[in-house]
Amino acid sequence: MKNLRHLFHRATLRRAALVGTALAALSLTAVAPFSADAEPRRGGSLTYAYIAGPGTLDPHVASSMVELEVIHHLFETLVTMDDKYNTRPYLASSAEASPDAKTFTFKLRKGVKFHNGKEMTSADVLASFERYKKVSPNASVLADVESFEAPDPYTFVVKLKNPNAVFIDVLKSPVYPFAILPADQKDKPARELDIVGTGPFTLGEWVKDSHLIIKRFDGYVPDDSAKGPDGLGGKKTVYVDQVRYNFVPEANARVAALQSGGADIANDIPAALAKRFEGRTDLTPLRIFPYCMQVYIVNTQQGPTRNPLVRQAILATVDAPEIIGAMNVVAQPSHSLVYPGSPYYQGDAMKPYYSQKNPQKAKELLKQAGYNGEKIVLQTNSNYQNMKDAILVLSELMKEAGMNVSVDVVDWTTNASNMQRGTGTWNVSTTSFCSNPLLGPQQWRVMFYTFPQVKDDAVLDAAYAQFYTSLDLGKRVAAWADIEKRVIEQAYMIKIADIGALRAFNNKKIEGMTPYYLVRFWDVSAK
Amino acid sequence: MLRIVVIRLIQAVPVLLLIAVMAFILMHLIPGDPAVVIAGADAGPAAVERIRHELGLDRPLIEQLASWLYHLGTGDFGRSLVLNQTVISAVAERLPVTLSLAALSLVITLPIGVFLGILAAYFRGSWVDAAVMTLALVGVSVPAFWIGILSVILFSVSLGWFPSAGYAPLLADGPGPWLASLIQPAVILSLFQIGFLARMTRSGMLDVLDQDFIRTARAKGVSEWRTVGRHAFRNTLVGVVTVAGIILSLLIGGSVVIEQVFALPGIGRLVVQAIMARDYPLIQGTMLLFGFAFVVINICVDLIYLWVDPRVRYD
Repeated sequence: MKNLRHLFHRATLRRAALVGTALAALSLTAVAPFSADAEPRRGGSLTYAYIAGPGTLDPHVASSMVELEVIHHLFETLVTMDDKYNTRPYLASSAEASPDAKTFTFKLRKGVKFHNGKEMTSADVLASFERYKKVSPNASVLADVESFEAPDPYTFVVKLKNPNAVFIDVLKSPVYPFAILPADQKDKPARELDIVGTGPFTLGEWVKDSHLIIKRFDGYVPDDSAKGPDGLGGKKTVYVDQVRYNFVPEANARVAALQSGGADIANDIPAALAKRFEGRTDLTPLRIFPYCMQVYIVNTQQGPTRNPLVRQAILATVDAPEIIGAMNVVAQPSHSLVYPGSPYYQGDAMKPYYSQKNPQKAKELLKQAGYNGEKIVLQTNSNYQNMKDAILVLSELMKEAGMNVSVDVVDWTTNASNMQRGTGTWNVSTTSFCSNPLLGPQQWRVMFYTFPQVKDDAVLDAAYAQFYTSLDLGKRVAAWADIEKRVIEQAYMIKIADIGALRAFNNKKIEGMTPYYLVRFWDVSAK
Repeated sequence: MLRIVVIRLIQAVPVLLLIAVMAFILMHLIPGDPAVVIAGADAGPAAVERIRHELGLDRPLIEQLASWLYHLGTGDFGRSLVLNQTVISAVAERLPVTLSLAALSLVITLPIGVFLGILAAYFRGSWVDAAVMTLALVGVSVPAFWIGILSVILFSVSLGWFPSAGYAPLLADGPGPWLASLIQPAVILSLFQIGFLARMTRSGMLDVLDQDFIRTARAKGVSEWRTVGRHAFRNTLVGVVTVAGIILSLLIGGSVVIEQVFALPGIGRLVVQAIMARDYPLIQGTMLLFGFAFVVINICVDLIYLWVDPRVRYD
């Protein structure tokens, strides 16, 4: 979901965004990795016009995109995501689950060095997990841990009280990364960490609200078991001396920086501004798909939307192409809550619920619900135009179906707080989710319950219980089918579209830049 | 004079206390939860509640207010909820940027604004007056972000004269890069201020130019330059100083839009980000520091009155 730490953030900020899938094509434009016979130049520096400065670089508490992009250059995890967003070992050379899915054994790569020169051992891994359990907002995923053990310097074992078939997948999450820190950081409070990781870059200068510099870590020990870089893992080689992230919140200024040579790469470029690159053969735009998903959130705990029939009536009114057309973002229609490359993708199973454009059906459902013109409040925010547009179009579609709609525009922080905590008097809102569809059912769980305020749904509870305890992938896929159907059929969330990202870089200055949900500066060189 | 300063500072204490209480109440009346911002969107309700508890946000408001005021009394402005630094250090880090921009903008604004105001008044009703007032109207009316974007496209992208964004510190990078990084935002910021100052100067000059003593000076054969520059303008200085004080106050408060467009890490951006994140201690602390800065500027303005107009007495 988006957040404002960079607007503030978070600014702002755009809230965590993690993309992708295997088969859903990353739509690229003239992007070439290194040619086989050309040795990339070592040295030089790159300047990145970046939307906002990170609030923190403490990986255990970081969830916004602006933080994660930097953090994944500095810190690493036991397992991570590959190019296709599947789980792959990283600081662990292997990760094995016991047959009962209660014990997980991680064999660590030997000789891996922290930025302080010390070798990473299982003591560091154990300390990192113990810290994570204390400080991370995501600590609930470790609530079922019975013990962490370090039987020898290169083995780390996690024992759970109950089976969890996807525990290793949980650990690949790039949001609130399970980063391995030196053991002496164990008792550091949240956000007060020394920035010492095992990543291929170290932290250089960081001037809040101005810029941040990461420098090549010459003591970096790459994963030689891989042929080359693979997602966030694999064998990473750093060619550039440093990368400077300049925090430029205004989109026009980021584009201008790229055009004028003040930056070599820029992110978060609005679709409308991409036209400025026309005729500039030195600037290469990158469209990243999939990136996020935008959905409507329907509040199940107050007002007319307590009634499932009213929620389903709203679902019936949705006209996705109409809404996408109004949003002026890089977007494409999609009915699924996961991407086509995921093993959990259900094909066209959810298609009948998507973009029904059926006001007549909505009227019938409202009649069955006994709806009598009670007010339905659509809440949105003034910070993200695409969210506001999506709500405004929906309000017209709902009015057409005979609903009494009122639109409430607040700022993003209020909007987000209301969705996440169930406060305020809203019935429908909208937001984007990025890591959740990418990582799958386990990452969706908190969102499905929290945002629509779902309580006491035995069907959903049972499906999730089935999901976590099924060691067989086929059974987990079946459980996800039940989960996705329940969420969509009950109109807890209503899918609008897959949202993409637009970046651009100067191809006269950078070589090796490839599209991924995060910008990566390893295996990239300055020309 | 020292007595005046001391009395004014003592008088400022209840004002600052009122600002403190108002800042606290207003911020807490705004919906939105800093714990949600800190926890992140992927955090569950329990994690959000835990952070609320750790930050003391679950305590009664009156207790939070009392605790904050108590710490203020000991000189502790508190700690930002999201920046991992004290309010004082967060403000201190960004102050050089804002002060640089304010100083440069004021240096551009004062001579041009005053000169244009005098010119318009002297040639009242003529095309000069109309031209100056039209320019002033445009300066006051045109949105700074729009001018800013056009300026970047012209001077940074097309001509390549100035950097499009960012700040080069004076001490670290030297005066050249410092000036290059600030000149565009300072000039754009000055457009509004020049318009404001020129209109106020013109208005003050028109009042004075009709006075008997001006007619007398001319009748005595005093040169026009001396009549306007020394006799007339001197008598409008109180108004000009007042307006300059207001302009400086506004500039020190931060120029949110300009700082955003030119990616300047100043106070305005800090405050906006703090508001968006509901970073209560940071907002309250900066409001209080702004209040104090305004008090100091007002005292300075009062003291300058004594200098520019000997008739002024604070007895």
